[in-house]
Amino acid sequence: MEVLKEGLLKVDPGLLLWTIITFLALLLILWKAAWKPIVEALDARAEKVRGDIESAERNRLETERLLAQHRDQMSKSKEEAAQIIAEGRSDAEVLKNSILEKANAEAKDVIERAKREISMAKDKALSELKSEVVTLSTEIASKVIVKNLNPDDQKAFIEEALTKIRTVQ
Amino acid sequence: MIHLLHSINSFITSGGGEDESMFDIVMHHLTDHTITTGFIGKINEQYLGAKLFGIFDMRITRWVIMLWVAAIICLIVFVPIARKIKNAKYGSSSKWVNLWEVLISFVHDEIVEPNFDHHYVKKAMPYFLSVFFFVLFCNLAGLIPGMSTATGNLAVTAGLAILTLLGMIGVGMVKQGPLGYWAGLVPHGVPAFVIPLMFPIEIIGLFIKPFALTVRLFANMTAGHVVIIIFLYLVMMFQSYWVGIGSVTGSLMIYLLELLVAFIQAYIFAALSAMFIGSSMHAH
Repeated sequence: MEVLKEGLLKVDPGLLLWTIITFLALLLILWKAAWKPIVEALDARAEKVRGDIESAERNRLETERLLAQHRDQMSKSKEEAAQIIAEGRSDAEVLKNSILEKANAEAKDVIERAKREISMAKDKALSELKSEVVTLSTEIASKVIVKNLNPDDQKAFIEEALTKIRTVQ
Repeated sequence: MIHLLHSINSFITSGGGEDESMFDIVMHHLTDHTITTGFIGKINEQYLGAKLFGIFDMRITRWVIMLWVAAIICLIVFVPIARKIKNAKYGSSSKWVNLWEVLISFVHDEIVEPNFDHHYVKKAMPYFLSVFFFVLFCNLAGLIPGMSTATGNLAVTAGLAILTLLGMIGVGMVKQGPLGYWAGLVPHGVPAFVIPLMFPIEIIGLFIKPFALTVRLFANMTAGHVVIIIFLYLVMMFQSYWVGIGSVTGSLMIYLLELLVAFIQAYIFAALSAMFIGSSMHAH
């Protein structure tokens, strides 16, 4: 035990007690002034970080769900749009055809009417011409009759006039 | 160790023929001295001269001052840090704060958490943070030229280890009951006739744990300093400047190693204390 009293391996009870006193004082002061707030703050932060990570994870899942929903809606809308365009095209086609048909029919109608009117006008002109011819022939006949009229001539004349009329007719 | 130093010393003094032998230099650097000058010297003379209870020589020594230096550094560092950490809700961006926060997290993750139940971690943190940083600052302060390593003294390391021992017994007796703790020292399932043999062994084991803590920290902190001093003494021994190149380089290397050892020993002391106190919560 002599070695504990002097030299490098000396254990000085006073220093030992000072160590304990110093350390315990330090422990108490730091406990109140430093460690307690630090440990609490670090725990609170760790808790907060954990909460943040959890909520971020929740948000991520929610976002993914919304994105999928959105994509779904987008593809549905695209399909609808395509359908609407296709419908519009076929409607337009139908409409075009019907308009064309109508136009064709009307054109035919107009042509028919024109033909009818032309033929009517022709008939009318012919009948007017006939009456004119009759009048003319009658005048000619009366002139001839006035000039020289014997019964034979008269008869031949009438005959001739009648034949002419027939041919005209 | 002393015999070894003596033999080296006699070899050196025979060769160098210096007035101050190497043994004296080493002893001067590594042993305690009561302060006799200045204000503290006066206090020592007037108030602390008488021994407390006849054993405790409470006169303030160089080592006591070093303990206080380490304690004051702890206070200067951690009280403002606590305020900053508390105020910074999302973590401080200051490198200074983050440095200490990393070390505090290190104590939490590597020292306290593996050895304590989840529920007790928060209660155990202050003690082990204090042990770790107090020992660390004592170790590091001793590396500053002109200062001394408080933890390179058996009385200091013994004082800290005694607190660990009291912690082990105290926590054990509170958690397992005053008698349950002592009964629990002997492992369960041991044949009855072995118990009288096991009990003294376990008791000795209980005291060996803090004893090992004491010697480990002391020896590690002292050995490096002895080597540094011896390296530097080589210059005086050989009386040559050229030796200085090698010896200063070697001493610088050991100094850098000491920086690492200072950290490692603080960690080991705190981690083993945590292990011993943590394991005394449950009977084994």
